[in-house]
Amino acid sequence: MNPSLFSRQIAALRHFAAVLLRRPQSALGTALVCFFLFLALFGAGLAPYPNPNDQSHAVRVSPTLDIGALRLGEHPFGTDRLGRDVYSRVILGARSIFRIAGLGALISVIVGSALGLYMGYRGGWFDELLGRVIDALLAIPALVLALVLVGIIRNLDFEIGSWQAELADNVVLLVIAVLYVPVVARVARSSALDIKTREFVEAAEIRGEPTTYIIFREILPSVIPALVVEASLRFSYAIFLVASLGFLGFGARPPSPDWGLMVNENRGGFYQLTPWALDFPALAIAILVIAVNLMSDGIRRAVQKGN
Amino acid sequence: MLKFLRRRFVFFFFTYLISSLMIFFLLRVLPGDPARVIAGGREATAEQVAQIRSELGLNAPLPQQYVNWLGNFLGGDWGKTIAFRGADNRELIVQRSINSARLALVALLLSVPLSLVLGIIAGLRENKLPDVIISLLTLSVVSLPEFVTGLFLINIVALGWGRSKLAGALGWWFPSSSAVRANASFSEMLPALWLPAFAATLVLLAYISRLTRAGVIEELKRDYVRAAALKGIPYRSVITRHVLRNALLPTVTVIAISITWLISGLVVIEYVFGFPGLGSLLIAAIERRDLLLVQSIVMVSVTVILFTNLFADMAYAALNPRIKLG
Amino acid sequence: MTAPLLDVERLTISYRIGKRWIPAVRDFHLQLAPGHIVGLVGESGSGKSTVALALMRYLSSNGRVESGGRLAFAGEDLLSKSDAEMRSIWARRVKLAPQNAGAALNPSMKIGAQVTEVLGAALGIGGAEAEQAMLRMFHDVNLVDPEKVAERYPHELSGGMQQRVVIAMALITNPELLILDEPTTGLDVTTEAVILDLIRGLMAKRDTGVIYITHNLGVVAQLCERVLVLYAGEIMEEAPVEQLYAAPRHPYSLGLLNSVPRLGQSKADSRLHSISGNPPALAELTRGCVFAERCDFVIDKCRAEKPPLEQLGDGRAVRCFRWEEVTVYPHPKSNAPSVPRPTGDDSEASRRRGPAHRDRLPPIAMGGLRGVEKNTSPLQRGVRDEERVLQKDDRDTDTLMRVTDLKKHFPVARSLGDWLRGKKPAPIRAVDGVNLTLGAGQTLGLVGESGSGKTTLSRLIIGLQERTGGQLELLGMDIRNSVRERSPDVLSKLQMVFQNPQNSLNPYLSVRQALRRPLVKLRGMTPAGAEAEVAQLLRRVNLREDYADRFPAELSGGEKQRVAVARAFASDPDLIICDEPVSALDVSVQSAVLNLLARLQEEHGTAYLFISHDLAVVGYLSDVIAVMYLGQLFEVGAASDLFQPPYHPYTEALVSAIPVADPHHKAERMLLHDVLPSAQRLPSGCRFHTRCPRKIGAVCEEEAPPWREVDAGHAIRCHIPLEELSALQHSFLRREEIA
Repeated sequence: MNPSLFSRQIAALRHFAAVLLRRPQSALGTALVCFFLFLALFGAGLAPYPNPNDQSHAVRVSPTLDIGALRLGEHPFGTDRLGRDVYSRVILGARSIFRIAGLGALISVIVGSALGLYMGYRGGWFDELLGRVIDALLAIPALVLALVLVGIIRNLDFEIGSWQAELADNVVLLVIAVLYVPVVARVARSSALDIKTREFVEAAEIRGEPTTYIIFREILPSVIPALVVEASLRFSYAIFLVASLGFLGFGARPPSPDWGLMVNENRGGFYQLTPWALDFPALAIAILVIAVNLMSDGIRRAVQKGN
Repeated sequence: MLKFLRRRFVFFFFTYLISSLMIFFLLRVLPGDPARVIAGGREATAEQVAQIRSELGLNAPLPQQYVNWLGNFLGGDWGKTIAFRGADNRELIVQRSINSARLALVALLLSVPLSLVLGIIAGLRENKLPDVIISLLTLSVVSLPEFVTGLFLINIVALGWGRSKLAGALGWWFPSSSAVRANASFSEMLPALWLPAFAATLVLLAYISRLTRAGVIEELKRDYVRAAALKGIPYRSVITRHVLRNALLPTVTVIAISITWLISGLVVIEYVFGFPGLGSLLIAAIERRDLLLVQSIVMVSVTVILFTNLFADMAYAALNPRIKLG
Repeated sequence: MTAPLLDVERLTISYRIGKRWIPAVRDFHLQLAPGHIVGLVGESGSGKSTVALALMRYLSSNGRVESGGRLAFAGEDLLSKSDAEMRSIWARRVKLAPQNAGAALNPSMKIGAQVTEVLGAALGIGGAEAEQAMLRMFHDVNLVDPEKVAERYPHELSGGMQQRVVIAMALITNPELLILDEPTTGLDVTTEAVILDLIRGLMAKRDTGVIYITHNLGVVAQLCERVLVLYAGEIMEEAPVEQLYAAPRHPYSLGLLNSVPRLGQSKADSRLHSISGNPPALAELTRGCVFAERCDFVIDKCRAEKPPLEQLGDGRAVRCFRWEEVTVYPHPKSNAPSVPRPTGDDSEASRRRGPAHRDRLPPIAMGGLRGVEKNTSPLQRGVRDEERVLQKDDRDTDTLMRVTDLKKHFPVARSLGDWLRGKKPAPIRAVDGVNLTLGAGQTLGLVGESGSGKTTLSRLIIGLQERTGGQLELLGMDIRNSVRERSPDVLSKLQMVFQNPQNSLNPYLSVRQALRRPLVKLRGMTPAGAEAEVAQLLRRVNLREDYADRFPAELSGGEKQRVAVARAFASDPDLIICDEPVSALDVSVQSAVLNLLARLQEEHGTAYLFISHDLAVVGYLSDVIAVMYLGQLFEVGAASDLFQPPYHPYTEALVSAIPVADPHHKAERMLLHDVLPSAQRLPSGCRFHTRCPRKIGAVCEEEAPPWREVDAGHAIRCHIPLEELSALQHSFLRREEIA
């Protein structure tokens, strides 16, 4: 009877997963997110036509997907007006949205929590000043700020043409991180403010522990549940934002297989010609957003129950 | 209460100042020359760039530029557009703001009562069937990106189902195109407002109803609710007189915060529906690299948001007896 | 006995945990006649609040009353009533005054509206008629200015006023049955005394049957006629109050009564009796007696079968196989905890110290008050001069800590009006010129109501808050302001045990990690050395070594507090500040922690600054006691002297407010009305004059009182000359004895 800390953590994690997956809604959401993650990681091997811009097919082919007969056919989601296979493009599009939203959310959570914990624990002028900046940043609607930043930054450098799409993608990633750092920092700060009045933190102060020890060893563990919830929430908002920016033409550049971009390229008059070229990427976005929402709601409930 | 309001006022001015600083410097300090961007990038000649520099007052030192710009903005001189054939920025923005405000108003009138009702029902029936349905609805359909729901609505009404009876009936209420003249009157615009307003309603619905639900659940757990029930008054009075009274207090703030949320949503919705509001103007301004116009639009939306928050704080303070002594 | 108002038999109440229904209260019974008060005593988790809700038939959705029981109110079976029928009973006939009055009032509704609402539901009256009834009721519960109170919101009332409102709300319909659920928990002892007095007065005039739920044996003794002792969901003993206190028949009742320190009892006299172990969790109940694991009288039979609740006649009942023997050994010697004690035997240690210890004069008092003129009252001199006099003293060699003119003023943000007028608001003077000296190895007890500044004072000393002025010396060294500036040497000499065991240990660190850190950090031990020392520390606080691998969630409240004590002792400090270390613990666990603190002090010679609102607890552990009121000390003296006249009128009020666990002690109380004035707008002259029952006149309002020395080490800060004070207080006590 001397279970190590590590095995305790494993047990806690297993318990958390069990609570999360007990609710059917949360389990469904988590499963779907895992499915999309799988597409994002191994999509290149799964897509029938690994080059998303392969225009060698007949144009405007109707979807050949037959769910009743469990048959995919040659172009399950049809081809668009340029003769690109929509099925392959949807599969390949999963990667960019996961990379940008996931990485962006991750960076914002790491930077934001470090900043917020420090602000909350130390207080004083640093907290005061940064707090004001965060308030000001939050007064600008997220999408508006993202549009302005992406719009401006993208227009700055014309030197090398070939990596502009690449740069634009990274700009969105960076903008998401910048956008959500203050949000996460605020959550981490208020958690730190709550924890720092607990007596075990004061006991550490009485021992003369340095600030970093108190923040990372004493405060952080108690804040992690709140941060996990916040991270899942940030991820779902980031997915939403990446899709919206793509749709507005501020995300990936054509002809990349970005879902939002695909929706935008095939709306209006084109919709009557190839409705499937819009419907399937829109559906992919819808399912992913719903799945991420269900999962993050499940995570929130599981964490609350754990407490 | 006075102390509370004073704090809110100080907060308001501070935030306003810092946001304006950020808006200004974000657009000026970033690497690259705004004048060159405006003039058309690499193809622009040195003379063109120089001319734009002097027109925009870009030769002055940055702090002075900021002061000039903020002074002009507050004084109502927002400059001329580059993108829209030299129209006056202020006239353009005011006109588009009015349109956006109409859209927002209709959306708020639709969404606030509806989401309060849904939130209260879900909260009172926590984890029961109504709550599960409402929660699932707000988590899924309603939280889809605006452009997905917007396009879906357009496609139902106007395009895909054009010949079906349902669409015909709906089409009578919802004209297929929302493209209206930018200077139309409210009554002229109203038919075109319903569809985008409905899309915007969905944006708010999820947000407000979930927070309302959380508020109701939290209040239901409090001791005074049990005490009220044990007074022997009917359940209905316990809910209306005691629970809702406290649960709905923070809603004032929630609605104010949802304005920020709504403005983001409106940008996409106006773009999808081709509605001549502030959001579609912003996208056009960014696409056409009209820096001054972009700055002014962002400043206007920040102003709107900060004022709504200030009013909400004041309303909250007026409604909540606990703040009076504060 | 008249026809019972309430007749409860074989009541079992279950809660659903996961998919199982677990009986939280088993086989409960109760008979109550109109006009009588019965006490329901139990520790946390005993199920007493569950009983209250079940009697109201208002269990939450995960609770239910099992069939087979009987719950009759005035001859009617409540268990078969519909919701609507229950509502009409709630409205008029049965009332519950819940725990925590502040939370039971709707925060956004005016008090008046909340009270008249009751009348509307119960009697269908409203408007002016209801208003009149409400004001009459407010008058009956001694609310000053009833009209104004009705116009206020709950947060604008003090805790005592909120409690009065809740009682008024319950009594306004003249109910037949009133359940009071811990009505004075969380209130200051002075306010508690006033509320108890009020309840006693109100009930004497009515026919209402009252069930009084509490954990405090003293309150029961003062108020109730009969008592039910509840433990882990079962009645252990039922008895008329005099008989229970004179001759308890259940080992648990006996243990409870003996584990509360009585006023005047000292660590030098004897260790406290303590009940070892912790109450069982609901899920781990066994076939046998629920108390068997902690019982000194346990035999094999107790573990095998559950004793029945045996009727002894005379209104007494007890659930124990060996109740007859309990009377034979009122103070069983076999009170050693089941955990082996490696370091010394408590009783032997205390014998060694012997009574001589009590004659030794506490150095604090000698050093701290030297220079005060005996009994002469330099009225003309202001406080400042007095304080300067107090500082003039010799440096005692065994003085551990010296606090000189310590001050903490919290600045107050300017209001808009002040800002426009350019005025600066007065600061909150939480601690305002305190002088203290503490000898090595001594305990200094600090008492006072909440808001008196005692916690702030302790935080200034430990360095968690920065002082506004004054000096702090430890072992002759001048100590810096905040912990951040103090050297590791100073840090290791000064440690703290906090109030709330729930928060004093980091939930994510194991006991080992919590104890190892101060050893490495403050004693410079190697990891291997620290490892051995952790085991040593745990043994010293009577915990098994395998506790090192536990996390706080796996410890009971008392065990957490032991670990916190071990952590404080890890750096081998000279002074430990104990801020209400036992007030969050149950009575049966409290005494074990107090014994532990007393033993460790003996072994290590560590000094304590012990803060508590419980005078008996402070009295037990302290050598010297300081009484604090509004940021200043008003009386300092040896623990043995302080609780007898002459004492400061404030001390007198504190002492007389204590509910004594003895039904024969029918004290005439000196009640303190009003609330503590704000520390921002301090009263002029003597700070206590606004509430002082012995105020002599204008001098109290105009001049700060002088320190008067009673005898060496005992001084009182009051305008009344000591002889007069002594005479007044002795006659007061004599009147009590006659009454």
